[in-house]
Amino acid sequence: MADKTIKDVEFGEELPVFVPDTSLKRASVFASLVGWEGPRFSDHEKAREEGLPGAMVPGILNQGYLTAMIHQWAPNSTLISIDTIFRAPVMADEEHTMKAIVTDIDEEAQIVELDLTLANEKNETRVLGTARIKIAS
Amino acid sequence: MILDLHTHSVKSDDGRAKVENYCQWIKAKEIPIDGFVLTEHRQYDFESDYSSLEKKYNLLILKGSEVETEYGHVLIFGVTKMLTTKLDFSRIDLTLRDVIHWSKACSAVAVPCHPGRPKVGMFAHTDRLGIPEGVEIVETLNGGSRDEEDKVAIENARSLEYKGIGGSDSHIVSHIGRCATIFTEEIRSMEVLVKELKKGNFEPISLRNRLK
Repeated sequence: MADKTIKDVEFGEELPVFVPDTSLKRASVFASLVGWEGPRFSDHEKAREEGLPGAMVPGILNQGYLTAMIHQWAPNSTLISIDTIFRAPVMADEEHTMKAIVTDIDEEAQIVELDLTLANEKNETRVLGTARIKIAS
Repeated sequence: MILDLHTHSVKSDDGRAKVENYCQWIKAKEIPIDGFVLTEHRQYDFESDYSSLEKKYNLLILKGSEVETEYGHVLIFGVTKMLTTKLDFSRIDLTLRDVIHWSKACSAVAVPCHPGRPKVGMFAHTDRLGIPEGVEIVETLNGGSRDEEDKVAIENARSLEYKGIGGSDSHIVSHIGRCATIFTEEIRSMEVLVKELKKGNFEPISLRNRLK
């Protein structure tokens, strides 16, 4: 994908929808890699025994996916901050979609702000947040 | 006149939207609302003056509050200095009885919001605590609630003969205007909004499908 400049960005522009890998296998491998061993990210039945609705996708993996979505859209951008609010668990083995929309452009500072959402198949927002990125002129 | 009666800005601890970006978004996306009420969590914002944004974008921007009680969260419209001396908005253990009493005493209107949601919604508590006295309006359409949660709100409001309002409960820019309230009268101030709420001349509307 071609590099993007701040002048290419439009207020209200929607980034291409991103479908993250929220499989139990991916959640489990990631959790293990970051030292979060335990059934809540690797075993639906045992997660339910802990009182959860099933195994979940780790939050930092979702943040990673959000970052990947941004960089697919603007490969030359630098992520300044990503701020997420987890409204509900992101359940493993359920399909989710991520969206981002441009909500502020500061051409002078070369900063773009994005709204971020992650929704499940019922279109229920599980995660929302914002990101600030820097894109050169 | 269509107003989104439930929005949050960066003034709220979990709000991420700047007020000017809300205005830009409404105009850019041609969202058919004439204004919105900033109902910040557990506070009333006496300081901010949005009059220049109102003029620049031709939108009505009013301020209210969202407080927390044993029955869940409650919007207050028409907050005055006097009301904030009677209720400590920062507390999370206010009683709905006090919120309703002092709101009425100070000419404000208290409206339980997202009442169909678990934990933070009024109808999640009525089996245990009973039907609270003095409630006349609830938020039956909330942009942050699931369809089944709004359904609980609508059905209970109907059976208890409460009027319903709509609000997006937006915390990020792109969520404003998902639900709103349509008024029969022109509203240009909080005083008039409170008056119209008391008169009951309004209906909730969902704009979710339009925004998809």
